[in-house]
Amino acid sequence: MGKHVLIAEDDTLLAQMMGRILSKNNVRVTIAYNGQEALEVLEKEVPDVLLLDVLMPVLDGHGVLQAIREKQLGCPVIVLSNLSDRMTKEKCKKMDVQHYFVKNDLDDDSLWPVVEQYLR
Amino acid sequence: MNKKPVMSAARTIALKLKVLAREKEDVRRTLAVTAKKLRVKARQLAVTAREKEIVRRTLVVTAKKLRVKAKQLAVIAKEKEDVRRKLVVTAKKLKISHQTLKKNVLERTKDCEELRAKDEAIIASIGDGLVATDQKGRILVVNKAFERLLGWKEKDVQGKYLSEVIPMVDGNNKTIAESERLVTKTLRERTTTTTTTTMYYRRKDGASFPVAITVAPIFRGKELIGAVKVFRDITREKEIEKARSEFMSIASHQLRTPLTAIRWVLSSLKRENLPGELKELVNTAHETSTHMAVTIKRMLMISHLEEDGMEPDIAQVELQAVLDKVARLHDAHRQKSGLELSVECPPDLQVRTDEQLLIEILDNLLSNAYNYTPRGGKVSLRVTEEYASVRIDVADTGHGIPQEEQQKIPKKFFRASNIASPAAAGTGIGLYMVYNIVRLIGGAISFVSEQDKGTTFTLLFPS
Repeated sequence: MGKHVLIAEDDTLLAQMMGRILSKNNVRVTIAYNGQEALEVLEKEVPDVLLLDVLMPVLDGHGVLQAIREKQLGCPVIVLSNLSDRMTKEKCKKMDVQHYFVKNDLDDDSLWPVVEQYLR
Repeated sequence: MNKKPVMSAARTIALKLKVLAREKEDVRRTLAVTAKKLRVKARQLAVTAREKEIVRRTLVVTAKKLRVKAKQLAVIAKEKEDVRRKLVVTAKKLKISHQTLKKNVLERTKDCEELRAKDEAIIASIGDGLVATDQKGRILVVNKAFERLLGWKEKDVQGKYLSEVIPMVDGNNKTIAESERLVTKTLRERTTTTTTTTMYYRRKDGASFPVAITVAPIFRGKELIGAVKVFRDITREKEIEKARSEFMSIASHQLRTPLTAIRWVLSSLKRENLPGELKELVNTAHETSTHMAVTIKRMLMISHLEEDGMEPDIAQVELQAVLDKVARLHDAHRQKSGLELSVECPPDLQVRTDEQLLIEILDNLLSNAYNYTPRGGKVSLRVTEEYASVRIDVADTGHGIPQEEQQKIPKKFFRASNIASPAAAGTGIGLYMVYNIVRLIGGAISFVSEQDKGTTFTLLFPS
């Protein structure tokens, strides 16, 4: 019992805030502060949803998506990035990303309804 | 006395008297003959004299006539002399004029040649590419920079159409149609045209480079005789612009994520049961962070627009849905400002455009309408179909834009001087961005505004 969401986000405050929102909705949350950390978690346990940032140190979001595809981890991915250019969006869509959100356009209360869809 | 001597003497005398008488008679006869001869002679002389008199008279008449004639001839001669003198003077004058003219012509020719040489030298030395065309757009003359920048020699391109020699492509490598080329536009509209977005010229060797172009019409009197184009290789500027833009982009991204986090924290705090004073502070902090997020978003968008890095995503867009969405975005703002909003749109009306960018435009215009309309005013969003286009009016009954400042729109960072209220915390980049987006997605924008009556922005899109 209990759904598991992995948050890959290098901004500490935002990662904590996202964690708080999800925890409040009875979700188990793991936070990875870069792509490499996220991959380590993924290899141990595939979460129900991955919330992925694109620009991260060590290994970026594209690298994580590439690894997921190569290792066939089959995990729904929601990208939350502040990159709003079309190229980044399309690149992510090609890597089977379910949703692409620009963080700046999102409010704290609009995060949960999106994540919830993949947890049902 | 002796009778005899007397007798002899008397005979001698008588003889002598006889001789004398005879001699007298001879003389008398001779005299008579002579008299006769003289009379004849006298008659002849009289005749001669008469004839002479006639001749004389004739001569007098002739002389008189001759005198008259002579007088006339003298007059004519005088006149002729006058004419001759005048002719001499005129000839002299003409000679002087001719010499002056000759001198002037030579001087002018020299001046012209010098000027021409100077002009040619100037044109040849202009660092920017230059090409002049005739009224049909055929190349007349190019300068050295043209040859250097494009790889074509003047003699290879003279007489050819500019567009066939130098293809122009946009940022997506799409060739610009002849009708959209600046020279064509200038010749058609008889006005100066410049590039507003980055265009690229293709060189003879196939390589291309970014250019900034200005084309001006050439008039002789009122007659349009051609166009002159000046262009500049802006590779360096583009590099600087790109670096600046990248810096903007990175800086904005670096700011955006923590700001999102702060905004979320404040938003969740707002829902907590905080004491009154603290609640107000958190509310204001949240509003400020939201405003910052919008500003950063706009700065990023402008950065993208300016580097032509934005590609619209064109699709059929349902207008009613867009209007509702935009209206909702500003619901809180509207209620707080005590304004009335009316939305009118024909049902199921669609337009081909980029939905997100259209929302961005309307979001900005509506935000301005709310910001610059005093409490109790009205704001409206109205869509109508007009000929082959869809018209969207965003109108308010607000402060309006002062007449003398209207031409400053859409200048970057322009803010109307009649807006002193800090509540309307504008940055002056909204309309600049709106105009750029409208151009990007192929629409048109205009406005009418009257101080203290209100402002209406009108968007037109081809339907």
